[in-house]
Amino acid sequence: MDSLVLLRGIVKRFPGVLANDHIDFELRKGEVHALLGENGAGKTTLMNILYGLYKPDEGEIYIKGRRVELKSPKDAINLGIGMVHQNFKLVEPHTVLENIILGLSDLGFKIDFRKHAERIRSLAERYGWRLDPYARVWQLSAGEKQQVELLKILYRGADILILDEPTSVLTPQETRMLFKALRRMAAEGKGIIFITHKLDEVMEVSDRVTVMRKGRVVVTKKTSETTKSELANYMIGRPMIFSAPKSEAKPGKTIIRLIDLEALSDRGTLALKKVSLEVRSGEILGIAGISGNGQIELAEVIVGLRKAINGKIILDGVDITNKNSREILELGIAYIPPEATKWGVLPDMRVVDNLFLKAYRYPPYSNKLLLNWRTMFKKAEDIVREFEIVTPSIFTKARSLSGGNIQRLIIARELSGLIGKIPRLIVAAYPTKGLDIGATEFVHKILLRYKRLRSGIIFISEDLDEILMLSDRIAVISNGRITGVLDRKEANIEKLGLMMSEALA
Amino acid sequence: MPLTLKTRFGILKIERRTGYSRIFSILMTITSLILAFLIVGIILALMGLDPAKAFSILFGVYVKPTLLLESIKQSIPICLSALGLGIAFKMNFWNIGAEGQLYMGMIAATGIVLLHEYYGLFQEWLLLPLMLLASFMLGGAWCLIAGFLKAKINVNEILPTLMLNYVAILIVEYLVHGPWRDPRGYGFPLSIEFPEYAKLIFLARNPAYTGLLISILSAASVFLILDYTRIGFEIKVVGQSIDVARYAGISISRIIMLGSFLAGGLAGIGGLSIVSGIIGRLRPEASPGYGYTAIIVASLAGLNPWLIIAASIFFGGLLTAGGGLQMNMGIPRSATQMIQAIIFLLILVGEFIKRYRVTIMPRGGRE
Repeated sequence: MDSLVLLRGIVKRFPGVLANDHIDFELRKGEVHALLGENGAGKTTLMNILYGLYKPDEGEIYIKGRRVELKSPKDAINLGIGMVHQNFKLVEPHTVLENIILGLSDLGFKIDFRKHAERIRSLAERYGWRLDPYARVWQLSAGEKQQVELLKILYRGADILILDEPTSVLTPQETRMLFKALRRMAAEGKGIIFITHKLDEVMEVSDRVTVMRKGRVVVTKKTSETTKSELANYMIGRPMIFSAPKSEAKPGKTIIRLIDLEALSDRGTLALKKVSLEVRSGEILGIAGISGNGQIELAEVIVGLRKAINGKIILDGVDITNKNSREILELGIAYIPPEATKWGVLPDMRVVDNLFLKAYRYPPYSNKLLLNWRTMFKKAEDIVREFEIVTPSIFTKARSLSGGNIQRLIIARELSGLIGKIPRLIVAAYPTKGLDIGATEFVHKILLRYKRLRSGIIFISEDLDEILMLSDRIAVISNGRITGVLDRKEANIEKLGLMMSEALA
Repeated sequence: MPLTLKTRFGILKIERRTGYSRIFSILMTITSLILAFLIVGIILALMGLDPAKAFSILFGVYVKPTLLLESIKQSIPICLSALGLGIAFKMNFWNIGAEGQLYMGMIAATGIVLLHEYYGLFQEWLLLPLMLLASFMLGGAWCLIAGFLKAKINVNEILPTLMLNYVAILIVEYLVHGPWRDPRGYGFPLSIEFPEYAKLIFLARNPAYTGLLISILSAASVFLILDYTRIGFEIKVVGQSIDVARYAGISISRIIMLGSFLAGGLAGIGGLSIVSGIIGRLRPEASPGYGYTAIIVASLAGLNPWLIIAASIFFGGLLTAGGGLQMNMGIPRSATQMIQAIIFLLILVGEFIKRYRVTIMPRGGRE
């Protein structure tokens, strides 16, 4: 009996979508099984069904050979299923120990903390982790928090583990450590489902891989019998370009120079520490780093959404430090914000309103008082065509657009030169996060196009492959400090990873 | 992710709808209204009164010309306040102080009249335009207090706007009991009666027609401001998301102050329409809660300026019918407030159903 999970003919419908279309899936004892697919392929829905969060409309679930019906996550947990979500669900002020035993049913009246701490320590050591059970969770790095999440599950004796995009918050070194631990768990006979959209990780860690596309399983294969490009083909239904056509950098003069820039985070802590950088025209400067190390603050200080408390920003020889966002925009600095739905669009307003979110106040779209809708409508039609935004019409609410099209809309608004010329500097903060491969390729293409048009580009991303592919130079940010700037030719994942974890406590 | 609630009767599942059609929205509103009247009918029947007779009196108001004109007259302050709220709510500014802004508008209008009557200031033809301006400014300033606090030190607007209602009402009490009392009014707390040229009767010498014209012009202005001006666009963006507005380079505090001033100003003109159109003088309790009714009207109309006119007349009719119900059937006047409240509750339920899909499954059953 080596089948831990068997899903047969699972169907799940949501209003207007068939999220899971007759899915068959098997997880065997002792394997790491990668579940690969683009966003919206139905991976998460399927796993939520297995974890008891959704009920399937059709289909059967067998756990360890027994047919079951999962009414809630509680049922799943009792059957030995554990899930690590993308966002950690830990009580930050509590200790590791407290987090792990929280909710255990057989704690008894008086909790024997020492006994639990000992057990947790030895469990952690089994996987090569060094965790102090009495450490407070908020003091831990993202990688360690993930270890706590895993321990929480393992401590309950789970042998079916679901990990939802576990590497998105990790440095390359931490990722390697996680993979080692996962192999160890598999060797002990546990089964691990590893949800991801990164091909390299599939090749590195998994025994078998199941590819999903548009709610269906395309294929299940042994990892050793397939290749990256074959998987990509299954995943997006066509071959994928692994390296963008590199136009050799012929950087021009310096466009923007940051000198000893410092700024505070929303919480009032120092988020940027003496950051000095420069970007030349026709150059992409990649900013590598783990999210939350000052990248967003850096972007916001440049585009006038956050005050610099020290230092200077010089644009083409002119001091523009602490100008407001409107003046910055008028100076030709474009900003592609992170988290499109929070920052980039108004979901309940129309496509045309969203396109003119910044340009409405300039002629010919308005005079001092009145808006000139006719001109805006005409221009909007042109832009929708030029940037290939898929929408029923320019009067559709942004809410009903897909993530990729929302990002196209934002890019169109920022870069299409609605207020005159092409931008001198583009600050792109995580422009491909959460996008499917097609939309990601589009964003890359656009950035390279503007590079050819001689814009300077600051490209913030946590995906090192992407950074290495697009950037001419790469600056690494860690804990608010620039820990180094490398030329593309001398950079590799290993080096960047080390620099990313530098200056971290 | 849907929210599931397990109850005794079954499993309730609440999911956000991705969108809804206009027809669905209108149907929901109509259903809410019908249900509201159904409930009111049941209550009346339980009280031993004849619902059919009550409804015939109630709806008769919209048929009989004299009563319809009275309803329209009553609708003017509601309509103007609701138009102001239309702007405020679009901006996500929860102004519940239209009542106080109405009173401030009345004070301003009366003040101008008294300056003329007691001190001989201003020529007669100048009086109405000045009253209009003054009531707009003072009503606007009253709302701007809350707007300023929100814009500058991020104070939630709900409490200041609500509390300032009582302040405004008490100022009126003070004035009519004190310095503004009619010297020949036998000690009643009333101001002097406004002269003819200070009354809103320039159209057909009738306050209803005149008021309706003002309502229509104001609705048109609000429509134009919101849909065709830069300020209107900015108000809507601020209302949708402060974060995005900041990112778009909009000066948020400027817009909040401007928007709240406009909203209060419209209610201020509503105050003018009360003293100059309905009563003809200033007295305590000059508004039977027009400013609160306006909140219901604005939501019933979905903040659409043209629908606000219609909804105000509907509610003006309810107020007018209150008198008839009392006289003919002995139903207390406050019953009309009950009707209003039930309508409002059902509109709220309707709004919820517009946004969320609620499904009920029998216990333990599959979806």
